[in-house]
Amino acid sequence: MIAVWILVAIVVFAALVFFVMYNSLVGKKNQVENAFAGMDTMLKKRYDLIPNLVATVKQYMTHEADTLTKVTELRAKATSGTLSSDEKVDLNNRLGKMLGGIMVAVEAYPDLKASENFQQLQRSLNEIEEQLSASRRAFNASVMDFNNAVEMFPTNIVAGMMGYTRRRMFEIPESERENPNVKELFNA
Amino acid sequence: MPSERSFRQYYDEELLPTLQQFEARRQGIVRCFVTTVIVAVVVAGGAGLVTLAAHTSPAIFAVAAVVGVAAVVLAWFLLTRGFVLDFKHAVIAPIVKFCDESLTYSPKTHISRSVFRASRIFQHSIDRYSGEDHVHGKIGATAIEFSEVHAEYKTRHRDSKGRTHTQWHTIFKGLFFIADFNKHFTGCTVVLPDMAERTFGWLGKKLQEWNVARSGQLVKLEDPEFEKLFVVYGDDQIEARYILSPSLMRRITDFRNKTGKPIALSFVGSNVNLAITTGKNMFEPRLFSPLTDFSMATEYLADLGLAVGIVEELNLNTRIWTKA
Repeated sequence: MIAVWILVAIVVFAALVFFVMYNSLVGKKNQVENAFAGMDTMLKKRYDLIPNLVATVKQYMTHEADTLTKVTELRAKATSGTLSSDEKVDLNNRLGKMLGGIMVAVEAYPDLKASENFQQLQRSLNEIEEQLSASRRAFNASVMDFNNAVEMFPTNIVAGMMGYTRRRMFEIPESERENPNVKELFNA
Repeated sequence: MPSERSFRQYYDEELLPTLQQFEARRQGIVRCFVTTVIVAVVVAGGAGLVTLAAHTSPAIFAVAAVVGVAAVVLAWFLLTRGFVLDFKHAVIAPIVKFCDESLTYSPKTHISRSVFRASRIFQHSIDRYSGEDHVHGKIGATAIEFSEVHAEYKTRHRDSKGRTHTQWHTIFKGLFFIADFNKHFTGCTVVLPDMAERTFGWLGKKLQEWNVARSGQLVKLEDPEFEKLFVVYGDDQIEARYILSPSLMRRITDFRNKTGKPIALSFVGSNVNLAITTGKNMFEPRLFSPLTDFSMATEYLADLGLAVGIVEELNLNTRIWTKA
């Protein structure tokens, strides 16, 4: 009689443990989705800033008209919503590089640099870039958490049953990891 | 922060005369106090001898001893109270002004209890709250305010004889510092000393995740040295990382290693709050050693420097984001 009760207890306990692990994995997966959406929100902030930036800078930076047109084009593409995930990442990396280039080029235009409008924009851009960086870090942290759960024992058993696999962290492409060549930035 | 040499000059020209006056007063106080102690001991001793000789009840001796002790304590209190306050006004206040022109010093006020609670570093309810040595002003672009704070809670228990005993426990005793932070943010992020991870490693981290006592989510950051020393709880994962940039994490770690004292931080309401358990009572005159000792003055300046230097250490004057 006792043996039956012990068996029931073991089964209930195992079910509880399974239930906890299942939920934790789902929670972690959702956290990754959440963080990815967070990155998107920050990127949108950056898109919103660009028209204002281009308008302010265009009047002064007559030599950089090419770059500015390209930036506007890239922005339009990004907000069109027709890109795949990888394409979006690639485009945003290029956009980031270009914006960096513009901010460097401003050094040659003291009038522009001194204008209050531009200084406000510069602060906003600094803030957005830093928040974007924070959102990427948050995404990587949630992916690491998820990957840990998927690969470590005992949750890896449940993950296998649910068909969850490792996800990729947000990586900076090789080209960006090199120190930026300022001359090339101007010609980009 | 002024250099050692300019402080030496200031000390010799401005402070030394004042200190010499206080030194004379101090010596007077010590003489008075020692006399009181001797008198109390003689009286109590005399009462004790009388009791032994006359074989009367020890009550006389007990009363004499109690009165003696009470007299000594009262004398100490009366003698030093005025002295300490006068010393702070005459010596500490000028040193504060010397450190930075914009700072004002008030020996008897302190950071308010509500502000202390609002920092959300310490969640325990407070039964007794006191403080002193309040300084506030502006260093560069950063408004700062700090004071010594002592917050306690009490526990009551009944012993076997039915009497209630009250015990006081310290929540925090040390320097509490508030500064205007250089970025805008809306939520609350708290950085606490990390006991669990240091002791239990990975399992410690798991325990922290399940810690329901703290409101807010656990935020796991990338700097391994920072993570070993601190645990972070925040309302929002992205905002916590926006505030705690890799550079700020590095600076907090360096500051912690430099002071060697337990520190906790919180970022609330656009301010950064720092609680340092200094383990000493700052800005007090030493009553049993000469006041004209230059090392004492440099100690006051160093303690001030610890607090004021936080602005520099955490790079709070770098205002390149939307907050001016």
